[in-house]
Amino acid sequence: MPIGGVIFITLFIAAFGTSLIYLARWTGGKAKKTSQAKFDVYECGLPVEEKKDTKISVKFYLTAILFILFDIEIIFMYPWAVNFRHFLATGSGLLVFGSMMVFLLIFIFGLWWEIKSKALEWD
Amino acid sequence: MTSMGNTTFEIVINTIKLLAVFLLMVQAVPILVWLERRGSAFIQNRFGPNRVGPLGLVQLLADAVKFLTKEDFAPEKGNRIMFYMAPVFALIPAAVAYAAIPMSVPLKVGDYTFLIQGYEINVGIVFILGISSLAAYTILMAGWGSGSKFSLMGALRASAQIISYELALGLSIVGIILLYGTFNLTEMIHAQQGIYHFSAFGYTVAASWLPNWGIFYQPLGMILFFSATFAESNRLPFDLAEGEAELVAGFHTEYGGFKMLMFFIGEYGHMMIASGLMATFFFGGYSIWNFTPQEVYNWCYGLVGSEQIANVMNVVLHFLSYNIKFAIFLWIFIHVRWTLPRFRYDQLMDLGWKTMLPWALGNTIVTAIVIFVTSYFVIS
Amino acid sequence: MTADVFLFWFLALITVISGLAVVLMANPIYSALCLAMTMISVAAIFVTLQAYFLAGVQIIVYAGAVMVLFVMVLMLFDLKHELQAFTRGRATGALKIASVGILSGLIVGAVTIGLTIAGRSSDEVISAAAAGGVVDTTRGLSEALFLKNIFGFEALGVLLLVIAVGTVALSRSKGGTHARD
Repeated sequence: MPIGGVIFITLFIAAFGTSLIYLARWTGGKAKKTSQAKFDVYECGLPVEEKKDTKISVKFYLTAILFILFDIEIIFMYPWAVNFRHFLATGSGLLVFGSMMVFLLIFIFGLWWEIKSKALEWD
Repeated sequence: MTSMGNTTFEIVINTIKLLAVFLLMVQAVPILVWLERRGSAFIQNRFGPNRVGPLGLVQLLADAVKFLTKEDFAPEKGNRIMFYMAPVFALIPAAVAYAAIPMSVPLKVGDYTFLIQGYEINVGIVFILGISSLAAYTILMAGWGSGSKFSLMGALRASAQIISYELALGLSIVGIILLYGTFNLTEMIHAQQGIYHFSAFGYTVAASWLPNWGIFYQPLGMILFFSATFAESNRLPFDLAEGEAELVAGFHTEYGGFKMLMFFIGEYGHMMIASGLMATFFFGGYSIWNFTPQEVYNWCYGLVGSEQIANVMNVVLHFLSYNIKFAIFLWIFIHVRWTLPRFRYDQLMDLGWKTMLPWALGNTIVTAIVIFVTSYFVIS
Repeated sequence: MTADVFLFWFLALITVISGLAVVLMANPIYSALCLAMTMISVAAIFVTLQAYFLAGVQIIVYAGAVMVLFVMVLMLFDLKHELQAFTRGRATGALKIASVGILSGLIVGAVTIGLTIAGRSSDEVISAAAAGGVVDTTRGLSEALFLKNIFGFEALGVLLLVIAVGTVALSRSKGGTHARD
């Protein structure tokens, strides 16, 4: 795997993007402060309020944590899927198939429970 | 092994190739934007850009010049470092992942073999999935760096959407991996060449009128994968990240000029990755309908009678084949954007978690059972 | 110095610098982003040891999922208090001195260990691993998971299920924004 190539293109794009931003800054110039409102963040015609204590629905965190859990379960399927035919050819197919089916059963139960417990309900 | 080649010549060629792939991606964006604007005008029965140059083709050049004259703005409340870093980082995952997609058969010149792709990665799928999942950082950085609540809400929604659909995306290709038994995109394309054939219960079934493409084995997987990529690239009907009716413009509310353009390049880059992967997984990649590269080469050789020219012709033909498929999927992306309205946020989450994830799971199980049964019980 | 060795030192340098930045940055968001960078460069080091699948998993799970959650959560806090808590006060001063002490101890330890294994190239490590019977890492991994340690594998599925249930239960606790009562 040519990791040198990956690193090279990453660094190249970083340099390319940075120089684009500098180019735009050089040709367009820095924003002149004609009024305070220009430098405020976007607001629909009202004076900007400083946000003090942002309350965000716990659903976002829940979604992210459940994503991590299911993502790990899916990642476990990858080495299984890629070697499934190899295992079938070498005779241990039934065991490998059965072990993954049990795992998937647990996965399905988890998903069913999440749906049933309304954890994935957005209102 | 880990470097880019053994001789200086190879390293130089590989470097040029990487830059070419990146530039190919960047230069495709103006064409796509033009296509999108003209296409939407066509769909909505209006003209679209038609003043600058023939058919408005130079419009994007004019836009770029205008971007250059815009003054450089960053909101005072925001975090300047994050604000400027986000658009630069938006380019990286798209381009790095796109360079791993094979675009044509390898070109043989003398002793050298050149792959028509940025680099060949032997766990291609895992690499591309991993790299494109890093796009969530860009969105979060932009949303937080702007210091605006609209940006932050947009970033939060966008990242929750991206991670939700990543599950369906990752699961929908398990069927494909089971089918081909490899992570390598080139090997996957090799497995899809020629006519439709498979073996079951010890027999071999073949149909000479169908190509051996993944879509004929994994139709449900294809639909799920394609829908999930729409959500991954934040395109309509999944562009809740922008949601201009509620969130002004989502995570890029505060951006303008060139920085905005770079987010655009990132978004179109994700569209290109999705189209390239669709072609690779389900439509035979660069392979031509019903023919193997060897057959195409033989035909070329019969036509010109020179090995070198036949090689080059072979590469060009396959490159064209790949690009036709690629362009069709890009057009579907554009067409869908101007056809379907946007989802509500709860509908979006329901679709991802309660519909696509169970269907993808079912697809995986059915595929595994079919492969297991057809190769475990051999009728002789 | 061959390209391989250069690559290793380059990646090691990035890993160490971004790892240090995780600890030294005052702003938790910079710390989290630097931690993501550390994960990615560790994945790159896995690649130089030919553990391709492991590198991919490192990026998908750690950089693409776990750290995204961290960053997402951190971005929603009011960080000004955090910043002040970590830049002022006697207690934090003592904490800083203590952590510098621990850090320098760790650096000394790392350099000592590093010097003993610095002579080995990645090819040697790979051939040593291959001599131990590991040929294709993905295949070896799946044999270990699905044939040798089936029980552990299934137990892991149950563990993930328990975590999911626990998370949902925690998110329902009283006073939460989506509490039942």
